Amino acid sequence: MENGSIEFHGNLRQLLSKVESGEMIPKLQASHAPMCKFFTAYYVISGIRHVVPLVHGPTGCPLYMSDFVRTRECCEIRGIPLEPTACTTLDESNVIYGGEGKLLEAVKEAYAKYHPDLIVILSCCCSGIIGDDVESIAREAEKLVGCRVLALRSEGFGGDFRSGYEDAFKLIMDLMDPPKTTMKGTINILGARWGPSPTEFNWDLDEIERLLREIGIKVNAVIAGGCTVEQIRHAREVELNASWCYDWGQKLGDLMQERFGIPYSRTGQPYGPSATKEWLLGVAAPLGMQENAEEVIEREMREVEPDLAYLNEALSGKTAIIEISEFPGPIRALSLARMAEEFGAHPVVINVHPYTIKERMPSIKYILETGVNPEIILTKGLFRLGSFRSSKETEDELEAIVREYDNPIFFGNSGRFPPCPVVNLTFMNPAFQPHYGFRGIKNLAALVRQGLENKDLPRSRLFKGMLYGTGTR
Amino acid sequence: MGPERGKEPAGPSRESCTDPYLRCAFHGAALTALGVSGSALLAHSPQGCEYLVNNAFAAQECDYMETMTVCTKLCVDEIVHGGEEILARTIREVKGLPISALFVVSACGPEIVGDDIVAVCESLQPEVKFRLVPIASPGFKGSQYDGIDIALDTIVKRLVAEGGKKVPGSVCLVAPHANANPTWPADLAWVKQTLSRMGIPVVATLTHRTPLSEIEHAASAETTLVLSHDAGQKAADSLAAAFGMEQVCKGIPLPIGMTNTQRWLAALGERFDARKPADEMVSEGERMVTATCRRKWPMSRFLYRTPAAIVADATVGIPLVRFVTEEMEMTPELVALYSSARPVRELLERELGSLGLTPKVVYGTDVYRTRQSLREVMPRVVFGSTIERHASEGIPVTYVVEVVRMMRQFRMINREYFGYTGILNLFECVQNEWTMAWRSKEKRYRAKW
Repeated sequence: MENGSIEFHGNLRQLLSKVESGEMIPKLQASHAPMCKFFTAYYVISGIRHVVPLVHGPTGCPLYMSDFVRTRECCEIRGIPLEPTACTTLDESNVIYGGEGKLLEAVKEAYAKYHPDLIVILSCCCSGIIGDDVESIAREAEKLVGCRVLALRSEGFGGDFRSGYEDAFKLIMDLMDPPKTTMKGTINILGARWGPSPTEFNWDLDEIERLLREIGIKVNAVIAGGCTVEQIRHAREVELNASWCYDWGQKLGDLMQERFGIPYSRTGQPYGPSATKEWLLGVAAPLGMQENAEEVIEREMREVEPDLAYLNEALSGKTAIIEISEFPGPIRALSLARMAEEFGAHPVVINVHPYTIKERMPSIKYILETGVNPEIILTKGLFRLGSFRSSKETEDELEAIVREYDNPIFFGNSGRFPPCPVVNLTFMNPAFQPHYGFRGIKNLAALVRQGLENKDLPRSRLFKGMLYGTGTR
Repeated sequence: MGPERGKEPAGPSRESCTDPYLRCAFHGAALTALGVSGSALLAHSPQGCEYLVNNAFAAQECDYMETMTVCTKLCVDEIVHGGEEILARTIREVKGLPISALFVVSACGPEIVGDDIVAVCESLQPEVKFRLVPIASPGFKGSQYDGIDIALDTIVKRLVAEGGKKVPGSVCLVAPHANANPTWPADLAWVKQTLSRMGIPVVATLTHRTPLSEIEHAASAETTLVLSHDAGQKAADSLAAAFGMEQVCKGIPLPIGMTNTQRWLAALGERFDARKPADEMVSEGERMVTATCRRKWPMSRFLYRTPAAIVADATVGIPLVRFVTEEMEMTPELVALYSSARPVRELLERELGSLGLTPKVVYGTDVYRTRQSLREVMPRVVFGSTIERHASEGIPVTYVVEVVRMMRQFRMINREYFGYTGILNLFECVQNEWTMAWRSKEKRYRAKW
């Protein structure tokens, strides 16, 4: 490809190798700040019902999360009752003299005020640096209140955003009681969070649960997507763990397998017919429910036959340009690349940032093991100073790249203006959700149809000017 | 009127466990720095604090095509060994930006480990074409209001030039951004429009879309006008001490509602010898509001002496007390303010005394105390935020009028609460809530078609 704006052009395996060797690590300190460890830990913990996340720090850290995760995403959007987000409001004096005494009092107060089923102390930068021993306080406090008290070292500087998720999932294992029985035909779904991360929405989970119900499989808990402490306590009584997103469930699934011997179904995201079948059989077969699953799959496949035929016809022979910088998450984009290939398209994934490869290494390796190794292009704009979202540079580069492929179709969102049909996969439009499973096939077919049938309609000068400046055409 | 209720102890809660309404000092400093146009902000912090900056960015209505925010993304290494080197490296990375100032705002981590951001900025100043302005405002320094005061103090001390010629009868506006109206720039716009009509020049605004050159000349103003009851007073005091700038409208509730607006305009008219235009604005404004209400029929008139709660910042909350009592004819039985500073307490108590009200008062409230107070007082109307909508579940509150920190309702056009159109905007909030409260929660049958 003759294009001076290309920083990397190869396949996923080659990109992974460059990231592993340190060759593709972003050099600009100032650019691209994903969430910190504290935020991601909060996401997970807030997915347990009747929990008090007790933030041992000043008010800025908890309030950002309580405004956006709790009030907006949980209460306003998902209809969840207002749950507390407690804070010790560390001040200068606490920073100098330590905040352990205040924390102990705060746990007692939190219990008296909110009557929770669980209190999780989350440390942040302040309490981490001054060395407050949150674990010891949690142990001490647990003797004084009527619920479990756990502590998580989640200082913002203490790890990448992924470590917050993983450490929180790991902590949740401490709540799991030794099994007293085995719940036949029952699984846990791992790796969920209530938070507003654009990688997960209820519709996908609803589709998975619908299909599991059809097969006759029960779900003990969605950890941590609105599960109760009681469900977590019984989590070891299931026959199998599965994940709605391999990436997020993988750590907890592996740990539960290693520590408790509970098998974990390793499957990718159920995008398209093959991945959906694999997902369902990956869960049903170990439970001895393969036949039921096959019946359900056959019935569901019949339902989506017209959509499958359309997708085959529409995508065959096309180049599916899949952009990640504007798409909700690299793992979903790679799942989509697999689906595009299944329908006869050649997938080209654009601008999967090396930091996301670095932080999702086990999942990327798993995806490669399953035979998914799409063509990847990273452009120079991705590495420019500032946020890469909606940047003029990456928009111009995308438009140039698309011109170099035959018969292109763009999978991303409507914030891009490439000279080809655009399939709008944004999660900001609930009209075409879920994307997972068989209902997802219907929705994806509808989105592809919209993109192709309306490709000659004029695009919005207004929105393009808003995103990239009025100098753009 | 409700029975006399004990006031909670003055000052912020002594509790160890709170569910706060206010963000930290780092956020307040970022909010202030981002009000300077032609500048950029460098958060010397771990990457999560950048999200607080993003939030401040939105609150100051910055445009990402014009204003860049960057972050040093501190990790364990910098906490152990210090982050000054990475700060210097990051400043060098952005030295090509076409800006007049780079605000370096430090968060908890680097302040605890002792990074000297002032020294780093001084040593790098010769290398860059723009002003480096260090602001040490870690979260543990206090609330967002403390952060606003810290940043304004830095701006006054570092950027305001001495010795400028005074502009006769002029003002410097202070802390318009310390206001929980989610579209507060409309309040600022109303103030500027009003001052313009009275012939009072605005020399500088600290801060909203304020060029550095305007800040440098701020001392040319004869007076200061603080547009918040929550922050900005310290800056006004500093400007008075350093440059002899007299504060106007001090101790008067901000202009929300007819009486407050009339009083505020009269004070300005008095000070700037502009009584005539002030009187004209009052009579025109009152006529316009009355005529509009006659045509549109605000439903709040049906809420005569309905027990009400006000849960807000002091900037909106204190003036609302009179507006809710006089113009809307409801009875405030709970006033819960995010702030607890002495001037806030004094101002509210003066207002309550003058109105003959004895509501339950909570200073420095948090979500828990608000819910407990709502349970105790059982108001039927709450003027507050989205949080109160959810915090009042299970309590027989009929209306939650979201006037501050709204999340459910969205405004594409900024709406002021100050002044006469502000009165109509507040009536509109009540009107929309009034309709929603009447809507049946259940569909009793399905239509046939």
